[in-house]
Amino acid sequence: MRGLPLLTYLFNAASLAAIAAILTAAMGFQYLRGEIPCPLCLLERLALFGAGFGLIANLRGPYSTRFTGVTLGFALLLLVIAARQTLLDIYPRPGHAYVGQAVLGLHMPVWSVLIALALIAATAAKLTALGGDAHMQGARPSDAPSLDRVARALAAYLFVLCVVNFGSVVVQCGLGQCHTTGYALLP
Amino acid sequence: MMALAFAAMTLALGALLAGRRRLAAAALALGFVLAIGLFLWEIWSPETGFRMPWLQVRSGAAEAA
Repeated sequence: MRGLPLLTYLFNAASLAAIAAILTAAMGFQYLRGEIPCPLCLLERLALFGAGFGLIANLRGPYSTRFTGVTLGFALLLLVIAARQTLLDIYPRPGHAYVGQAVLGLHMPVWSVLIALALIAATAAKLTALGGDAHMQGARPSDAPSLDRVARALAAYLFVLCVVNFGSVVVQCGLGQCHTTGYALLP
Repeated sequence: MMALAFAAMTLALGALLAGRRRLAAAALALGFVLAIGLFLWEIWSPETGFRMPWLQVRSGAAEAA
C-alpha cells in the first residue's frame, strides 16, 4: 500500500493514537491525582470514544466516508458539551468554578474545546487534501501489515479504556446521578 | 443513565472489534442519543432553563443611553 490510501490510514491511526493519549491522560488525572470527573467531563470522554469508533471502523475496513461522518458527529458533540461547560464556569460564583488543575494555564473544558476543534480541523484538512473514499476502493488494511498491527493494538487499547471507564462510572455514579464529591459505591 | 450510556459505548466498540457491525452501529446510536439526553438534562435548571443569566453583555453606548 502506498500513496493516498496509506496517507489516509496513517491519518486515522494518528488521530486514534491522539484520542487514546488524551483519554489516558484524563484517567491519569482521575486515578493518580484523585480528580473525580464531573458529569459533563464524562460525556466529553464518551464523545471521544464515539469519535474513536469512526476511526477504528475505517482502520478495520472496508473504508467508508460514513465513518468519517461518525467521527465528525461525535467531535461536534464534544465541541458543544465543552463549550457549554466552559461558559458554565467562566464566571466564578458559589458552586461554580473550574474544577481540577490547569494544564498550561487552561482547564479541562477549555482543552476539550481545543481538542474538538483540532479533530474537526484535521478531518477537514484530510478531506480537502485526500478527498473522499474513491481512492480507498480495494484498499485493505492488511496491505500494510505494520500499520495494521499498530491500528489493531490502538483499537484494542481504546476498547480497554472504555471498559475501565464504564466500570469507573458505575462505581462513581451507581445507577443514578453522578457527583464529584465521591464515588457512590465506595465507602 | 450515565452508566447506561457508557455500557452502550462499550458494547459498540466491543461489537465493532468482534465484526458485528449492525450491533455496533445500533449501540453507537443508542450511546449518542443517551449522551445528548444526559447533556440536556445536566445543563437544564428549574430556575433558568437553558439560559445562562450569569453571562451579561452590555455595550458602553447602550449603557450611556
